Amino acid sequence: MSEYVLELKSISKSFPGVKALDNVQFNLKSGEIHALVGENGAGKSTFIKIITGVHHQDEGEIYLNGQQVEIRDPNEAQKMGIAAIYQHVTCYPDLSVTENIFMGHEKIKRFSKRILWEEMHSEAKKLLDNLGADIDPRSQMGALSVAQQQIVEIAKALSLNAKIIIMDEPTAALTKKESEELYRITEQLRDNGASIIFISHRLEDMYRLASRVSVLRDGKYIGTWNVNEISKEDLIVAMVGREITQLFPKKEAKIGEELLRIEGLGKTGFFADISFTLHKGEILGLTGLIGAGRSEVCQAIFGIMPYDKGKVYLEGKEVKINNPLDAMKLGIGYLPEDRQKQGLVLQWEISKNITLSTLDKLCNKGWLNASREAEVAKELSEKVNVKANSVFDTVSSLSGGNQQKVIVAKLLNADLKVIILDEPTKGVDVGAKSAIHEIMSDLACQGYGIIMISSEMPEVLGMSDRIIVMREGRITAVFDREDATQEAILEAAMVNRAERELAGVR
Amino acid sequence: MSEIVLEKKLKVTGISKFRELGLLVFIILLSVLVQLRNPNFLTLENINDMIKNTAILSILTVGMMLVIVTRGIDLSIGSTLALSGMVSALTVSANMNLHPLLAILLGTVIGTACGCIVGFLVSKARILPIIATLGMMNVYRGLTFMISGGKWVSAHQMPASFKAIATSSILGINVLIFIAILIYIIFYYFINHTRTGRQIYAVGSNPEAATISGINTVKVLWMVYTIMGALAGLAGVLWVSKFASAQGDTAMGYEMDVIAACVLGGVNIAGGSGKISGIILGSLLLGILNNALPLINVSPFWQEAIQGVIILVAVIVNALVKRNVDRKNLMRRKI
Amino acid sequence: MEKRIIAAQKEFNLRKFFFQWEWMLVLILIIINIINASLSPYYLNFKSIIDATMTFLDKAFIVLPMAFVIILGDIDISVASTVALSSVVMAVSYNNLGLPMELAMVICLVVGTLCGLINGLLITKFKELSAVIVTLSTMIIYRGIAYIILEDQASGKFPQWFSYLGWGYVGGIPFILIVFAIFAVIFGLLLHKTTFGRRVYAMGNNITASRFSGVQVDKIKTVIFTLAGFMSGVTALFLTSKMGSTRPNVATGYELDVIAMVVLGGVSTSGGKGRIIGTILSIFVIGLLRYGLGLKNVPAQMLLIIIGLLLVIAVMIPNIKINTGKAHKLHKTKA
Repeated sequence: MSEYVLELKSISKSFPGVKALDNVQFNLKSGEIHALVGENGAGKSTFIKIITGVHHQDEGEIYLNGQQVEIRDPNEAQKMGIAAIYQHVTCYPDLSVTENIFMGHEKIKRFSKRILWEEMHSEAKKLLDNLGADIDPRSQMGALSVAQQQIVEIAKALSLNAKIIIMDEPTAALTKKESEELYRITEQLRDNGASIIFISHRLEDMYRLASRVSVLRDGKYIGTWNVNEISKEDLIVAMVGREITQLFPKKEAKIGEELLRIEGLGKTGFFADISFTLHKGEILGLTGLIGAGRSEVCQAIFGIMPYDKGKVYLEGKEVKINNPLDAMKLGIGYLPEDRQKQGLVLQWEISKNITLSTLDKLCNKGWLNASREAEVAKELSEKVNVKANSVFDTVSSLSGGNQQKVIVAKLLNADLKVIILDEPTKGVDVGAKSAIHEIMSDLACQGYGIIMISSEMPEVLGMSDRIIVMREGRITAVFDREDATQEAILEAAMVNRAERELAGVR
Repeated sequence: MSEIVLEKKLKVTGISKFRELGLLVFIILLSVLVQLRNPNFLTLENINDMIKNTAILSILTVGMMLVIVTRGIDLSIGSTLALSGMVSALTVSANMNLHPLLAILLGTVIGTACGCIVGFLVSKARILPIIATLGMMNVYRGLTFMISGGKWVSAHQMPASFKAIATSSILGINVLIFIAILIYIIFYYFINHTRTGRQIYAVGSNPEAATISGINTVKVLWMVYTIMGALAGLAGVLWVSKFASAQGDTAMGYEMDVIAACVLGGVNIAGGSGKISGIILGSLLLGILNNALPLINVSPFWQEAIQGVIILVAVIVNALVKRNVDRKNLMRRKI
Repeated sequence: MEKRIIAAQKEFNLRKFFFQWEWMLVLILIIINIINASLSPYYLNFKSIIDATMTFLDKAFIVLPMAFVIILGDIDISVASTVALSSVVMAVSYNNLGLPMELAMVICLVVGTLCGLINGLLITKFKELSAVIVTLSTMIIYRGIAYIILEDQASGKFPQWFSYLGWGYVGGIPFILIVFAIFAVIFGLLLHKTTFGRRVYAMGNNITASRFSGVQVDKIKTVIFTLAGFMSGVTALFLTSKMGSTRPNVATGYELDVIAMVVLGGVSTSGGKGRIIGTILSIFVIGLLRYGLGLKNVPAQMLLIIIGLLLVIAVMIPNIKINTGKAHKLHKTKA
């Protein structure tokens, strides 16, 4: 019998253009809470998807209680006693809590096949009571809060007799009080003999709960420590790791007059009290954890989702932006985070994609001018160095990095003053990454104001003139380029404000 | 303060109960109003008549609810009803001493076959339900005309035993109503107390999650349309027996009544939810409207437009309620 | 870093050129003409083929905007009711209100346009509701209003010259064919040669990306549904002229024919694909098929079946292709 309930050895997994996991080790002791931490894109999600059978590893072995196993699909994982609770709960909102718990393994009478509702309800009630949650098992899942839904998911895992429970960012959408409740339940699960992998961005979660912590960075395994043996600072260094090894092609741009000023922007349920300015030639880094409201702020400025409080000034004049067309007419462009869903028409050729947002400029009174479009597309895609043979190649045939370059080319074609780039180098290979950085620098030198949303610390530090950090819908810190350090940014992004103030007093 | 109370109440009782209650109140109010205008409305005879008329509608509504719960729609049922009604009418007119039960069985089998084909197109061939059922609607309608040669089967061609299906009674209850009640009991049990029944809801509520839970979505979809067809076939026989005539254009456009009854009964057009109690009220309300409008001297030519407006208003109100709930949920998120 | 030269000239690919659905339609069209010719010795001359177009071109006007609607990935099943309503309003304006016929015709177009505009506004303002449910309810409402206006009466007695629309010739060519040709060219240019058309395709392929690219998606959608309404008005003009009188149940089932023509023309119901030339070819395929079957005295009901099956089969064929294509794509993005 092995000491570990779950052991993963030399796991590697590649997606086109990206090596998501590279020779990762991991082991889980029986009855422990093991935190798995790392920056966005470090490979945590891919890693747990391999454990739960959603993806299959390219290389490496998985051992369950010392036995080597193959996990081919989520059902198999379930049968092996592995359950995952995701941040975005995968539930049936229209069905009752009991049904959500028992879907796929309902209790039925042997001969009549009748569903034994009473028994399921009482068992559900028992499971929920054991978790200390006051949830009526008959209520509708969709009517519960996110925290309650997560508890139901946990109850589901328990009803499946899961021995290994993976929690993927369970606290991301929870309030402090709700998180506290979740900690208590997690500890209770551990005391009852379950082994838990706890993934979180919040260091406070980890220190509160876990006994050991493993760090992933850029798809690589960095190490495992006992939580009481590693300080917060060392942990952050382990997560961020590299002293900035990449050289960022940051050129000194002349920072000119104010372009954009945001005052007290707010939207119910998403963000509040957002104020900042952006100057000509400036690259403004906007960072924070996923879900901190960064994209929402920028999408509000771009007119995708209207804000309900605050003012936006462009070159000193107040402007009202109702839709993306208004924004683009005023000179504000946005490169969306999800390039396949929001940025590109994948079935289309490069040239049509590049010209889509600027058709009016290239046409003659509404008539398309195909040859001019092709020329412009050629010029722009050569400028950003898209690796393609013809501007008529379909975008879906390009790699992630080249797709991103196409979207950048699309923005360049518009007459913009302000360019908002949302995670411009996410899922992009190294070569394309530095190419995109170079383009960004050039743009700043030409006098564009650039807002760069990024979760990647070196990129934020290497490219930005100023850095804004958001946490839970609010700005928690603003740094100048000289003052910013990885540790300070991470702390502003991750640590609860009240706690920080407390530490300050101390 | 009061808003918090209301919100709590909403959370506890659920919106669907609120809607049902509202529907019930509306039905009562409507009945009272109609009664004031025309005292013949709430007589035993009229009520009996009304419920008899509603019986066939309500049988179809059950099937349509299942289809809509899976995010689909079935426009072919009016034609399926006509086709199976016509086939059974022709059969009984050729074999005068055929047992009425066999006629019912025959109609149901025809309907099942029709539904099975639609189910195949939607589940296996992955055609949009609207397109598949629009196409088959015309195929079945055309078939009905073809086999009848464009002629009617009228009352004197049908044996008395066949016409008696709709007029006789079991346990003192009219057969139509009896069958409707029976079907409601069966389906209440089916959708609430069997795994297969619950799977229909799971597929409609979250198809991806259903697949991950190991539910065979193709099977569920196929089954739902087949059930719809079977019920339409059964309804076809009952219809022909009740009106004592089978025509090529029997029940043309009747699918709209059925959809209206579902939507009124709170079946969510986006799938995933719908309750037996809701569609009973929905069919009842539609039945009352159909019965009451002539009684209060509304021209029958108004009925269609009124029905359309009802569907539209019902779905818009549903959408607005949902928006309101979503907004409230956002307000609760503190930042 | 090496600079890459990217070609901006399109290469002509002979295989790709011939591997198009439109050639298939041309082939079918030729076969139909051969069959028709073998059925009737008088068929195969220019004049009779041209004359045949008069029998089916009235609904073809709606096919053009419907192609836009389906390219968007939506559907409009209210068009037939819109035809009925505009036709009835026109007849009543002339016969009962005593307005001049020219004005009545303008009113006909205005009513059609309004119906379409209402659809468009409902669909864009209530995004929770699908185009299916919105147009389903307006389909009932519009026809319901036609019934309210005319009840079950017919309204005819138009001025003599009005029949010219449907039956007249200009230089030996039917007037309706000329008007259709003009509209076909306009819609073809709009879809393939203007920024509007480009944006429609973009929306059909990826509506989110279109929004992020500054495409006014709501506006375009409203315009397209309004166009569908306007063209239904045009159809109402020609249809009424052809028949000489109108009734509320006029144009029943046209939505099926129209959708069948669009889908057979190679427009994918999942949106983003298809060309006007294909839909025009398929108008002639279905129209001449109908005409030919009419020569052979095939009953009208048989046509219902054939068109219904054609619709289902036409959707099924690309579905099979797309399924394999999608699997491939999924694999790619996942891998």
